[in-house]
Amino acid sequence: MDYFPILMEQVINGLVLGSMYALVASGLTLIWGTMKMLNFAHGELYMLGGFGLYFGLVQFHLPIWLVVPVVLFLIFVLAFFIEKGLLSPLVGKPGWEVNAVVITLGLGIFAQNLAFILWGGDFLNVPYVAEGAIHFSVIHLAWHRVYILALAVVVLIIFWQIMKRTRFGLAMRATAFDHETATLMGIPHRRVYSVTFGLSASLAALAGMALAPIFSVNPWMGMGPLVKGFIVVILGGLGSFLGAILGGFIVGISESLSVLFFPSGWKDLASFILLIIILVVKPSGLLGRKEW
Amino acid sequence: MLEVDNLVVFYGDAQALWGIDIMVNEGEICALVGSNGGGKTTFLKAVCGLLPIRQGSIRLAGKELTHAGAEERISLGLSMVPEGRKIFYNMTVEENLLTGAFVKRSWHRKQELMDRYFRLFPQLEKTRKQMGGTLSGGEQQMLAIARALMSQPKVLLLDEPSLGLAPKMVDLVMEMVTSIKQAGVTVLLVEQNLSKALQVANRGYVIESGRIVLHDSAAHLLENPKIKEAYFGL
Repeated sequence: MDYFPILMEQVINGLVLGSMYALVASGLTLIWGTMKMLNFAHGELYMLGGFGLYFGLVQFHLPIWLVVPVVLFLIFVLAFFIEKGLLSPLVGKPGWEVNAVVITLGLGIFAQNLAFILWGGDFLNVPYVAEGAIHFSVIHLAWHRVYILALAVVVLIIFWQIMKRTRFGLAMRATAFDHETATLMGIPHRRVYSVTFGLSASLAALAGMALAPIFSVNPWMGMGPLVKGFIVVILGGLGSFLGAILGGFIVGISESLSVLFFPSGWKDLASFILLIIILVVKPSGLLGRKEW
Repeated sequence: MLEVDNLVVFYGDAQALWGIDIMVNEGEICALVGSNGGGKTTFLKAVCGLLPIRQGSIRLAGKELTHAGAEERISLGLSMVPEGRKIFYNMTVEENLLTGAFVKRSWHRKQELMDRYFRLFPQLEKTRKQMGGTLSGGEQQMLAIARALMSQPKVLLLDEPSLGLAPKMVDLVMEMVTSIKQAGVTVLLVEQNLSKALQVANRGYVIESGRIVLHDSAAHLLENPKIKEAYFGL
């Protein structure tokens, strides 16, 4: 039996999955970098993205080019005001490390149950953006997957450029390094927190939309990606944007390849084992700064 | 230019400043000197809005700043070089300077301003692509001062610029302070190194345990017997 086509297909599937992990994880790492908090409601922002796509495409029959930007914008606004209303009053105050976990964990549970009450617990299907597949000799690739890989790469490059070249990006990096000194430069660090939280949420929602046709939409769809997101940011180095991207692809590919050698139920184990090995070798993660 | 009246600051329940009055005139270097723990850094942080004030008022060029937020004070024309320089180690020298140009009036001419400070401080230009964390202490101090100037402030506040520098670098930094004044920026220089500060300053205030105990022209302060006794051991 010839393994090559299966191997290639799994590598490409791993890249696609990895690009989504990178989107989810880069949002988490942006928040950690600037606000020094872990956002346990990140998966629910992913879930809202999925529902947004479902309602736009299936319920309202709107074109995809309209649905995606509108959902991204709405989630940005929602997250911006969540940060302003719920997190901002406590950020930086004593007990912030614990408070952030309690608030976001509570928000996540609240959002899951609200979605369940409003929209029910059914697994909703969303159509693929594109039907059909590309065929390279013996390798077959669904167009949908090609599109989401391309989308993720473009979005991550745009984000990288925003951080490198824009006034906001500079303000964000300054705030992440030392918010008091950033304030002395005239940077309103609380505004930076709100906008960063909004952008991070949009990244999660984008991943939710991209994967909704593959995994179906339901109130609990964000729990898996949240755990994967945490694995990826810790593996890549908390707070490191490039680390989140690199980690995303590493975890995605290794999960895809593990299916070739072990039963597919062991897929999640693969990423945990990888995480443990990397943490033993490099406790701050692949590209993380030493903080202790 | 900068008028501070009866400034009172608390850290929790502990009173740190007991009614400080300081007036910095336009175009001068004013020194605020005193030993460690006297309240110099507390005073600067309160003026910049990093610490809440209990009582008193702060005016910049006649404008009331007392209730303005920290970043608003920067956009109104204050700028501070923090103690320990606080360079952004995760950025290059150029990017560090650009953060200084964040305020609206500077951002649209950031390139021009950056070129100006590279000309003024040629040692910095050689390091422009280096990461901030790789610079020597003296270079970092230069960068911190240039970064603070990028916002085109009316008043520049310097917190202990000589701290931890070699004597040669201290002289260089003091020369920089003089050239900043000559470029038309009013300077409030906070220093533990009393003699160096008073040599470049026009006037000086001496702070002890949160109170101003003396103020006079710099030349008179240097001759003052109490100062000679307390700080120079003569």
